[in-house]
Amino acid sequence: MNNDSQRFNLKALFKVNIIFFFIIAFIGLLLVRLFYVQVIKYSFYHQSALNNQLEQSKIPATRGLIEAHEAGQLIPIVLNQQFFTIYADPTLIKNIDKTSSDLSGVLNMPKSTLKSLLETHNTRYVVVAKKVSQDQANKILGFRYPGLGSLGQDYRVYPQGDLASQLLGFVDNSGHGNYGIEQVLNNQLSGKTGYLKAITDVNGVPLAASKNNIDIPPQNGKNVVLTLDLAMQKQLQDILANAAKSEKSPLISAVIMDSNTGAIKAMANYPSYNPAHYNQVKDPNLFNNATVANPIEPGSTMKVFTAAAALNHGNVNQNTTYNDPSQWIIDGFKITNIEEDGGAGKKSIEDILNLSLNTGATWLLMQMGGGKVDLKARQVWNDYMTNHFRFGKATDIEQGYESGGIVPNPDIANQSDDQQNLAYANTSFGQGVTVTPLQMASALSSVINGGTRYEPYLVDGFADSQGNVNYNKPKVIASNVVSSNTSNSMISLLETVVKKHEEAGFKYLAFPSGYNIGGKTGTAQVPKPDGGYYDNKFNGTYLGFVGGNKPQYSVAIFVTTPTVPGYAGSYGAQPIFGNIAHMLINQSYVTPIGQ
Amino acid sequence: MTYSSTMAANRQNYNQKNKNVISFHKRAKTLGPVSNTVILIVLACLLGLIYLTQVVKTNTYGAQLYASQQQQTQLESQYTNLQVSSAQLQSLDRVQNNQVSKNLSQVSPSATLNN
Repeated sequence: MNNDSQRFNLKALFKVNIIFFFIIAFIGLLLVRLFYVQVIKYSFYHQSALNNQLEQSKIPATRGLIEAHEAGQLIPIVLNQQFFTIYADPTLIKNIDKTSSDLSGVLNMPKSTLKSLLETHNTRYVVVAKKVSQDQANKILGFRYPGLGSLGQDYRVYPQGDLASQLLGFVDNSGHGNYGIEQVLNNQLSGKTGYLKAITDVNGVPLAASKNNIDIPPQNGKNVVLTLDLAMQKQLQDILANAAKSEKSPLISAVIMDSNTGAIKAMANYPSYNPAHYNQVKDPNLFNNATVANPIEPGSTMKVFTAAAALNHGNVNQNTTYNDPSQWIIDGFKITNIEEDGGAGKKSIEDILNLSLNTGATWLLMQMGGGKVDLKARQVWNDYMTNHFRFGKATDIEQGYESGGIVPNPDIANQSDDQQNLAYANTSFGQGVTVTPLQMASALSSVINGGTRYEPYLVDGFADSQGNVNYNKPKVIASNVVSSNTSNSMISLLETVVKKHEEAGFKYLAFPSGYNIGGKTGTAQVPKPDGGYYDNKFNGTYLGFVGGNKPQYSVAIFVTTPTVPGYAGSYGAQPIFGNIAHMLINQSYVTPIGQ
Repeated sequence: MTYSSTMAANRQNYNQKNKNVISFHKRAKTLGPVSNTVILIVLACLLGLIYLTQVVKTNTYGAQLYASQQQQTQLESQYTNLQVSSAQLQSLDRVQNNQVSKNLSQVSPSATLNN
């Protein structure tokens, strides 16, 4: 009995030991596995876990709006709206026929197109539709089809269509501003991207208790307020569009500027484009704001500045007369006038501007030197062009691709004096020198506002999210462009030119009493690409002002090769000025005399 | 005299002689190592529970915050859409082509008002 009992106990003990051994071995295995997983493969599993739990993304900043003035209010003219890209993973789409049928109903796309997209092989990402509205995206996601998703993206929206498009520019798909305001103020408009790094739950919701979360909110872009008056801009564009049709001009540009601050009230070109469809534009030249980017030879409108320089230089005054020989010969070339006005005789400064005498402009240049076109005359005139009127220099307006134009050097070492004299005589009546409409309007403002040069500007200020605007102040660049006497003389001379033109038959230059309007036409020969000028191609320009007690708006108009029966300046650009001046008066933009 | 009364009498004698008395107190009960370990484990569990409760609570707030942020984003999106609609309604082209404005007739100003 004892032996049996002992044997049984030994047997039981053996079994227990075996079980114990297996348990220990199992626990040992677990520990080894645990060590392998936790220590040896730590980095791998840590990274795998993070890949599932860690959300790391950039948070895009909202691009700033662009606003402009309209009837005392600020109206947004460039906004953002979220649209969606619908994408699909074809490997996850189960019922292609039904899915494409349902999508077709929402997206208004042919079912066959959608079906072929969803049947694409060898890819897990197919873009089904772009720029889909939020409602459409919600409907599609509401189907809850596996393999369909949406991706939101802000797009620029232009409620005013092509209004001021070339000065606004556009934003490309990468979110970068191109041309115009969008390009120059890209940094201020785009703001700063935010950053999110957080451990998330299965639904992608960041866990607040995770101490390593990083949440840097984006800094949205600033809202920009432009100096533009929307209604004036719209009417200017309509005037240019009508003129382009009637005059068959390939390009017309115009600027309306506040003569006493430098603020741009309207700035337009025809033809234009709709920035919402910038990718459909075939000619990239359309993106350019020609009023700042396309300098041309202005022709006789330059005589305004030749006269102002000569008057200011002190060698002539408003009432000076001279004997015009009807032609000058410089370096073997004849400088003449147009036949109907060019006879020899006693002429005044007023005649030079009213009859647009090239010989008169050359005579004015001579008065800046030693009574003839010489180095001194060239240097003085060059100083006025570049330092007083700032031709040949960009105005630094907030626009992309601004051009400064070309002013010839007054003293070139390898050119004969005669050649340079001829070149400079040409500049006195606007040939051989190039300027933009903005430069002309800005220079005219400084001539007629008493001699103060303001930096032309389009950005009136920046608005915060509450709509409070921090307005910019006009920036004075120089206060001695011309004397106040010269300024008054020029106002009077230019007003006389308009009156005499009205009397000569340009009836649209008749304006109601209480307003003062002045201006000057210009017709310039178009240069050939390989030198010389076309005999039958002319550009028309006009430079004028509209005001009451004092000039209020400076206007510059450039019309490229208009098809009109007469001089491009008088019959191409001048009617446009007439329309603009009437618009400014009729719409009460101008304060009449005595108010 | 019983044994106890004898001892009491003896103690009285000692007291009377103002001599030190040896006092026999019952020894204080202390916890053993197992109990201590159990208590520590329970305390650790409690602390863990409190920690978990707080973490869950914080994460719940986080989820609420996230939901609020999502709602804010949606409202901002709606606001933007309304802003776009408003701007489109104020579009100068739209105003110009409006039937009411088409019916307006142009008049020349006959006088200027003085304010």
